[in-house]
Amino acid sequence: MQFHFKIADAERDRDNVAATSNASLNPHAALQPQQPVALVEPKDAQHEIRLQNIVATFSVNCELDLKAINSRTRNSEYSPKRFRGVIMRMHAPRCTALIFRTGKIICTGARNEIEADIGSRKFARILQKLGFPVKFMDYKLQNIVATVDLRFPIRLENLNQLHGQFSSYEPEMFPGLIYRMVKPRVVLLIFVNGKVVFTGAKSRKDIMDCLEAISPILLSFRKT
Amino acid sequence: MSTGLKCRNCGSNEIEEDNARGDRVCMNCGSVLEDSLIVSEVQFEEVGHGAAAIGQFVSADSSGGATNYGYGKFQVGSGTESREVTIKKAKKDITLLCQQLQLSQHYADTALNFFKMALSRHLTRGRKSTHIYAACVYMTCRTEGTSHLLIDISDVQQICSYELGRTYLKLSHALCINIPSVDPCLYIMRFANRLQLGPKTHEVSMTALRIVQRMKKDCMHSGRRPTGLCGAALLIAARMHDFSRTLVDVIGVVKIHESTLRKRLSEFAETPSGGLTLEEFMTVDLEREQDPPSFKAARKKDRERIKDMGEHELTELQKEIDAHLEKDLGKYSSSVIRQLTQGKGETTASSPSTPKSVSENDLELEESRQFIEQSNAEVIKDLIASNEDVKKTEQGGVVAGIEGLRPDIEAICRVTQSDLEDVEKAKQPAQTELFIDDLNDDELDQYVLTEEEAMSKLDLWKNLNAEYLLEQKERDERLAKEREEGKPERKKRKPRKKVIGPSSTPGEAIEKMLQEKKISSKINYEILKTLTEGIGGLTGDSPAPNADTKPSTLEELKQQPAIVEEGPIAVKKGRFRPSYDLPGPSRKRPKVEAGLPVSQPVDEDVKSAVVLEGDDLDEDVEAEAEEADAEPEAEAEATLQDMLNKGGEDDDDEFGYGFDEEEEY
Repeated sequence: MQFHFKIADAERDRDNVAATSNASLNPHAALQPQQPVALVEPKDAQHEIRLQNIVATFSVNCELDLKAINSRTRNSEYSPKRFRGVIMRMHAPRCTALIFRTGKIICTGARNEIEADIGSRKFARILQKLGFPVKFMDYKLQNIVATVDLRFPIRLENLNQLHGQFSSYEPEMFPGLIYRMVKPRVVLLIFVNGKVVFTGAKSRKDIMDCLEAISPILLSFRKT
Repeated sequence: MSTGLKCRNCGSNEIEEDNARGDRVCMNCGSVLEDSLIVSEVQFEEVGHGAAAIGQFVSADSSGGATNYGYGKFQVGSGTESREVTIKKAKKDITLLCQQLQLSQHYADTALNFFKMALSRHLTRGRKSTHIYAACVYMTCRTEGTSHLLIDISDVQQICSYELGRTYLKLSHALCINIPSVDPCLYIMRFANRLQLGPKTHEVSMTALRIVQRMKKDCMHSGRRPTGLCGAALLIAARMHDFSRTLVDVIGVVKIHESTLRKRLSEFAETPSGGLTLEEFMTVDLEREQDPPSFKAARKKDRERIKDMGEHELTELQKEIDAHLEKDLGKYSSSVIRQLTQGKGETTASSPSTPKSVSENDLELEESRQFIEQSNAEVIKDLIASNEDVKKTEQGGVVAGIEGLRPDIEAICRVTQSDLEDVEKAKQPAQTELFIDDLNDDELDQYVLTEEEAMSKLDLWKNLNAEYLLEQKERDERLAKEREEGKPERKKRKPRKKVIGPSSTPGEAIEKMLQEKKISSKINYEILKTLTEGIGGLTGDSPAPNADTKPSTLEELKQQPAIVEEGPIAVKKGRFRPSYDLPGPSRKRPKVEAGLPVSQPVDEDVKSAVVLEGDDLDEDVEAEAEEADAEPEAEAEATLQDMLNKGGEDDDDEFGYGFDEEEEY
């Protein structure tokens, strides 16, 4: 059993982007990574951690004229009454940026770190093309949202009873159990069907550590 | 009336207590020993506009002081504690809320205790009191196991139930109250009563209870609202007992959506218990527990996906393999044929020359090709067949393995090389220049509009946001006007004071206090720190500094009075201040001119002269005073340092006085 991060997100993206051109690819290449795993342990399915969203922030370190940005780009919207920043979208990688007057930019919606990085730099480049003296500073991943399907049912009530100081489970409000892990500082949404959502992580490692910490716990509350 | 008490003044036992006036008087000497006694009777007196009760009401749970803080009246007694008022108000509101929810006084008291706990931990700050009260009551309901839902309370209080839920979670977490999970069974009776089932209510609710219990066993309740389960159970139970209750009837009682109720019903139908007949259900208890429906749904989806993927991939693969083999075959066959035909000598080489040989050759070629294709096709077929078997077994294995699958933690968390590379890639070095080498400019150029397009978009935007632009303009104008009029900019709200915990030593307390709040900008806090250190040193090993206390040189003797005089300067300035208002900027002017008078011993004479002149109430003095005011930090620093060098204890005291006066200003 193994987690294929690369396969989980990059492969799928390639499929999405180049779905039509897929036929021309050599099928052997697509086969290879899956075969050996399946042959070695055919009973173990792959639990893949899927990154769902990455939020990154950076600064272009110059004052921005939001009205000008809005009027000179086709992919932006700006309604100051509702939101003080310009919202700019992009197709590839598919992500959205919130651009503020101070030059601080939030890039969200990317599926992995590389996309977030490329997307951020593309946004900065667009601003550069508009004639702003753009720098690229303080790039930081702020939040990573990931999901995993553990494929076993979990007794949420018992978990909540024993881990009350970390968890809250109120089916009247939300069907999942909210587990606030202290180290790494990640919030998990645990559902009865064994699906888990991680949020608030700053890096992949956070998610890994978190899963490592939570898995034995969840396993002990497995519904048999 | 003698009460066994003795007069404080004369020692007489004759003490009269008047309940109406609420005082206690010594009948011997006439001194009033006590007034405003607490009495348990009410008396009325005639006042201008009718009768009024004498005295003030004191409630049983007040801790003393005047508590006549009536709602709607102004506060009379100053002795009322704010906290007491808060608790009183909370008690009133919580009791009211409990009454509305038909909860007895006992629950109200418990809720009030929760409120007091929350209050003492400052959890009430920044939250609406209605939310806090409701959360306290809900916490009581949960701990006591009453059949109240979150939504009932939010309904009564007219607040958002999610907001209330957040408050409740926060409170229960902060107060470390472990609250049992909701049990859907609690609500059955309550809903059953509202379904108008007449005398059979109990029977129906018992059946419903049995159904809910079965649902719980089959894990249908986790992650679901209890009302949904109750609704489904009640509907089934009512029909089992020959009541024609429709979905709509039940929905009206349990307040969930029809689709939710339908979903619960169909989920129950899918469990083995749902397949039993009525009699069987009432008698048979199935041992086996089911997985939660959402889990089953997820597995079903998984299975379908695997199946889809398998079929899809297989057909795709087959086609592609065929295509590739065809290509390979073309190459291979031609080469093979060449080899084969080479053995036959020059016929191949000369084949084009003679038409007969060509036809022969062709025939041969055709035959050999046929043979090769056939054998190849067989091999391929075998291959594909075996491949399919592999696929099929694999697929079956996966399907079978799903039930008992366990995650391997090590494998889950293993970081592969590619992951590390990704992370490395994502970690851009802290460069400030934009790295654009790998970006496709053409693509980005698409996003940038041309001049005309930009103009039209700007126009469009201006139209859309005309209102905002107008508002913005008005605001700017107003601000500009205010600035012209010299209105001070709005001050930001000060953050709430933090609670300073107790400290072990006075020094520590001072330090904490200084950290918390800078009393004056004119105090050199660094020096203050050394001051406490100095004291500590003094008490520890005294002789060395003591030797220095006596002013030994003339200079020092001179300096000391100058420092002592410093206080009066400040005092005078403080006195003058109201009558003479210096405009803002000019206050800073002397600062430039001021050349630390005290720090330079040469200036001492000038300084004292200034102090003497101070009696004339000149403007010069004022300026000087301002000067002294503007530069007190430097002064303080200098003088303090001098003092500390000498280590004079009394000097410290002197300084303290002068200092206090300055800071009051």
